[in-house]
Amino acid sequence: MKLGLLTDLDTCVGCHACAAACKEWNASSKVSGPLSDYDPFGADPSGVWLNRVRHFEVGEYPASKTVNFPMSCLHCADAACVTVCPTGASYKRADGIVLVDQDKCMGCNLCAWACPYGAQELDEVQGTMKKCTLCVDRIYDELLPPEDRQPACVLACPTHARMFGDFDDPDSDVSKATAERGGFALLPELGYAPVNRYLPPRAPPPVVGADEAKALLERGLASLASPAIRR
Amino acid sequence: MKPAFSIIFFTVASGAGLGLLSLAALFDVLAAGRLPPQALWRGALLGLVLVAAGLASSTLHLANPKNAWLSLARVRTSWLSREAALAVLLFPLAGLYVALSARGSAGFARVLLALVTAAISWGVLVCTAMIYASLKPIRQWHTAWTPVNYVLLGHWSGALLLAAIAAAYGSPPRSLAMIAGAIGWLALAAKLGYWHATSRGTPTTLAHAIGVDQGVRGAGASAAARARLLDVGHSRGTFLTREFGFALAQRHANVLRGVALVLGFGLPLAFLAWGNGRWEVTLSIAACCIIGLLVERWLFFAEARHTVRLFHGDART
Repeated sequence: MKLGLLTDLDTCVGCHACAAACKEWNASSKVSGPLSDYDPFGADPSGVWLNRVRHFEVGEYPASKTVNFPMSCLHCADAACVTVCPTGASYKRADGIVLVDQDKCMGCNLCAWACPYGAQELDEVQGTMKKCTLCVDRIYDELLPPEDRQPACVLACPTHARMFGDFDDPDSDVSKATAERGGFALLPELGYAPVNRYLPPRAPPPVVGADEAKALLERGLASLASPAIRR
Repeated sequence: MKPAFSIIFFTVASGAGLGLLSLAALFDVLAAGRLPPQALWRGALLGLVLVAAGLASSTLHLANPKNAWLSLARVRTSWLSREAALAVLLFPLAGLYVALSARGSAGFARVLLALVTAAISWGVLVCTAMIYASLKPIRQWHTAWTPVNYVLLGHWSGALLLAAIAAAYGSPPRSLAMIAGAIGWLALAAKLGYWHATSRGTPTTLAHAIGVDQGVRGAGASAAARARLLDVGHSRGTFLTREFGFALAQRHANVLRGVALVLGFGLPLAFLAWGNGRWEVTLSIAACCIIGLLVERWLFFAEARHTVRLFHGDART
């Protein structure tokens, strides 16, 4: 079983609703505890938050495009953070979710150094490492209606750019979308086998070239001069 | 990588201590009588004290040290766990060796403990180096040059300390100066080889990291395969920017490399060739070498570029 997230880079508008929903869910979650804030109302606020959304420009103007790129833990099949952790706090479950056991973590930061994607983050108040839990306490919560048993970020996304599912099941929505749209993994050459996938933006329709524009303009001008059309 | 002084002091101090400990133990076994015995056991003791000081410093780096004892739990997969386990093994065995050596007891137990001490010291050196060398996201660390450098630099600083102690208890033998010099030249070659190799390595690019080669393209068929950061998504620093965002200008790095080479290698090697052998001078030279190695270790951190920087806008690692 390989539970993970699928992010559609074509649809993400970079609104950060996923980041806010994640922080809000973790505030009451018992898995890692709340994600601490440092000086939230002061001059230099900072804090722990997961699911970073960065904004990139690809291509060169005028053929450029803005790509909004949410990133949280990719729940790698061969996670580096699990391998390097000396206390065994970072561990991978049978369903694929990588978690940090808050009772074992000593805050050495080695998992943060080992993760190429920056998924692990030190909570300076609690002294332990925090990361995306794939809302493990939401997805297995029998008291929630089935449609709500998904990670908070997936439910919060207003453009439905995020999907949750089992990448090991070829019939799941995430597997089918990955196959159809050529979903890709990040930095696969490092060998950590990330499970999360990203769908590339769809190819936009070609912009009309200069020759075509000229032909259309001439047709339009010719129609103005045509005696067949009464004005 | 943000150069944390607690880790820099830990690696330099424990490296010097482990080098000193293993050299003292090996001299004891292989060259008995060449060095005054008072120097040998005091050298081994100093080595053990340096290792202890280094390890204590490393626990200052922990945000939740009450769980530090659990770091012995994953020797099967984690180099940090392996280092911790071997360090725990080192202290009683090396301590016993130092005690036997100080009492002047000659016998098989002392020889055996000396060899075991040297072997475990090398094990700790290699495991500590592999903590860094095993990290693939940091290409400047992920090279065989890292453990080679770490082992040689530890023995270099340890050899100078042993020479200083030997000088305090009689004139040190020529063989010690020659061995120290040989280690020093090898360590210098390894350091220069490391800098050469990392300057030639293949960086990971931002364009590759976000999938430009997987379809994340601009508009149109002939869109350039280029990417840059428009906005990082936060208006203040984060854990990632603080931990990995340290940037060192090349011109500053070059100056510091020069300082490390002069203090860490130039002056000590010159002293070994032409020095007068008084223990105060030898000790100062050993201290000079260690200051040079502190600079070298600071650079080891400051010049490292983690792949997460790509997602923060760096064009390449």
